[in-house]
Amino acid sequence: MHKLGRIAIHEYRLNVFKRSFLLTLMSVPLIIALNVALGFYLESRGDDDSPVGYVDRAGLLADPIPAPVSGSREPLAFLPFSTEQEARTALESGQIQAFFAIPAGYPETRDATLLYLEEPGGSAIRQLYDFIQINLLADRPAGVARRAALIGEGVIKRSLDGSREVPDEGPSFGIIMPMLIGFAFLFLFLMNAGYLMQAVVEEKENRTMEVVVTSVSPGQLIGGKVLGVVAVGLTQLTTWAAVGIVAVVVASAAGIEWFQDASLDWDLILATVALAIPAYLCTAALMTAIGATTTSTQESQATGAIFFILHVVPLYLAWLIIDTPNAAVPTLLSFLPFTALLTVILRNIFASVPAWQVAVAVGLQVLYAAAALWLASRAFRLGMLQYGQRLKWRKLVKARPS
Amino acid sequence: MHTVEIAHVAKSFGSTHAVVDVSFDVGRGEIFGLLGPNGAGKTTTIRMMLDIFKPDRGTVSVLGGPMDEEKKDSIGYMPEERGLYQDLPLERCLLYLASLKGLPAAEARERLDGYLERFDLAAHKDKKVKALSKGMQQKAQIINTILHQPKLVIIDEPFTALDPINTQLVKDLMRDLRAQGTTILMSTHQMHQVEELCDRILLIDDGRDVLYGRLDEIRRHYSGHAVLVSAAGDLPELPGVIDIAPHNGATRLTLADHTRPQEVLGALVAQGVIVERFEIAVPALDEIFIRVVADQ
Repeated sequence: MHKLGRIAIHEYRLNVFKRSFLLTLMSVPLIIALNVALGFYLESRGDDDSPVGYVDRAGLLADPIPAPVSGSREPLAFLPFSTEQEARTALESGQIQAFFAIPAGYPETRDATLLYLEEPGGSAIRQLYDFIQINLLADRPAGVARRAALIGEGVIKRSLDGSREVPDEGPSFGIIMPMLIGFAFLFLFLMNAGYLMQAVVEEKENRTMEVVVTSVSPGQLIGGKVLGVVAVGLTQLTTWAAVGIVAVVVASAAGIEWFQDASLDWDLILATVALAIPAYLCTAALMTAIGATTTSTQESQATGAIFFILHVVPLYLAWLIIDTPNAAVPTLLSFLPFTALLTVILRNIFASVPAWQVAVAVGLQVLYAAAALWLASRAFRLGMLQYGQRLKWRKLVKARPS
Repeated sequence: MHTVEIAHVAKSFGSTHAVVDVSFDVGRGEIFGLLGPNGAGKTTTIRMMLDIFKPDRGTVSVLGGPMDEEKKDSIGYMPEERGLYQDLPLERCLLYLASLKGLPAAEARERLDGYLERFDLAAHKDKKVKALSKGMQQKAQIINTILHQPKLVIIDEPFTALDPINTQLVKDLMRDLRAQGTTILMSTHQMHQVEELCDRILLIDDGRDVLYGRLDEIRRHYSGHAVLVSAAGDLPELPGVIDIAPHNGATRLTLADHTRPQEVLGALVAQGVIVERFEIAVPALDEIFIRVVADQ
């Protein structure tokens, strides 16, 4: 086997068979599973379809019109009670989940009382309001009453260029997907670049560097390490993707509506991936350079943290980016190293980043990656045998190779 | 053809001239001593040999030509800055490093078992490297240097942290390797080990070669006109001897310019002295080292 392959396998085994790696690998699906379970729980609370009672002293619901129900929600039954005592008995016996008492002066005061033992879910509350609302509008034409009761339901928000739509309930799973992919990439390469930096700095700390470079070329050493670390990342990504797909399939089969619209925006996904790949190379190369120029794991982690912070700068400016996605600052952040990926993702949630900007951003990321790789190879050559001595960045740029 | 041929190499780092002008060659199957005070340029010279650093000037030929990736498999190197993967079990660490030298796994395992037994490390092969003593790590490092049966071994301070038994073990190993035709370039400050093992030496000081050649010739060159004598009883007055002084349990007789050692021995025998030891006084390598470096 080629020496590069041996180094890659060694690096892979070194990372994958660590207890900390297995913990990280398993913790993410566990967190996802917990979230899905929590979602199920909340959804099941919201889907309590036992009837709601009412005591109508204002005479508004003498001949009630049923409330319109949108989407896949189950319509609730509304049961009349003559007295509050009757309604309370029904509530305590579990016959109804809640009841509301409408006093005689309701048309003037608009005050009604809702009683329950356990707060009804969001769907029940909304149907309850719709039920009252449509019956208050009973003297109006049926179409008007229906539109009033359904206000906010089924409204589609569309971007100005007409290319993207967000339903009233919020972005669909398909719309969120590119963002999830972008975050997965960001998380992946920040973590894996950290592994790479650690691998280089440990080689220096252990003093194995000088022994290893008399067996393989520096290019084979770094290439093997990068391949090994990328394989570690792919293992994580594949595992998490598999768990994610299973979770989506299960959630979709269980009838959770949000997961059922999985139509993907491939333009956004392609833009995200096109930005993520050079951004990954750039980060990995810089982490290698840090590993080669610093003197200890501790120092390299401190320096690497600066790059981590630079990557998440767009999160600190999230409101600015979301409020004015095409203003000067978000546009500038889309072209800078480290911030481009997350900025473009955030801008794309509520706007459409112009295609030329995406193309420029990708081109610039490729240039940054090339520059970072050049810097990393010099750093490695100059810094690999400098034990206990930090390589200065000025020397890195100016020095003649050894 | 020499295994190593270095001609007028020089290397600077910024304003620091690490190596100014060094030339030497090492023949096949010899143990060659590369000596010099700290900071003399030994490590930089070795790193230029191994193509870790490119020389600013001069030529380097190893195993018949410039250094390349293929030749790395025929060289064993133990640097001054020791390095093994501390968190790996000893056996796994050595097998991985052997695989980087192109040694097939089965062969590496078989050879490693033999060396672990020989160096008394077999019982520790599953321990993490960091759990081993300094001496054990040093032995492991030596095994790593020779496991792939290199044609050229470059070894820096091989006896550091070794007790007398293990020192002898390493010396025997080096002699075995020499007998098998392996070329050994050894850098050390332990002059008595050099005297015992090396065929030829190069002394570097301030980046320049200051002493180079066969060890016995160098010692003879630096010997004064004197003999060492041990005898039963006191020594009588001897013609042609201008000074008598005790020296390491013997007596050092400094001879006049015209006096030959044979004449002194003859005079001792003629006067009925029971001679227990009589030898030409040659300086220890330590003395030569100090004298040469002090003269620079």
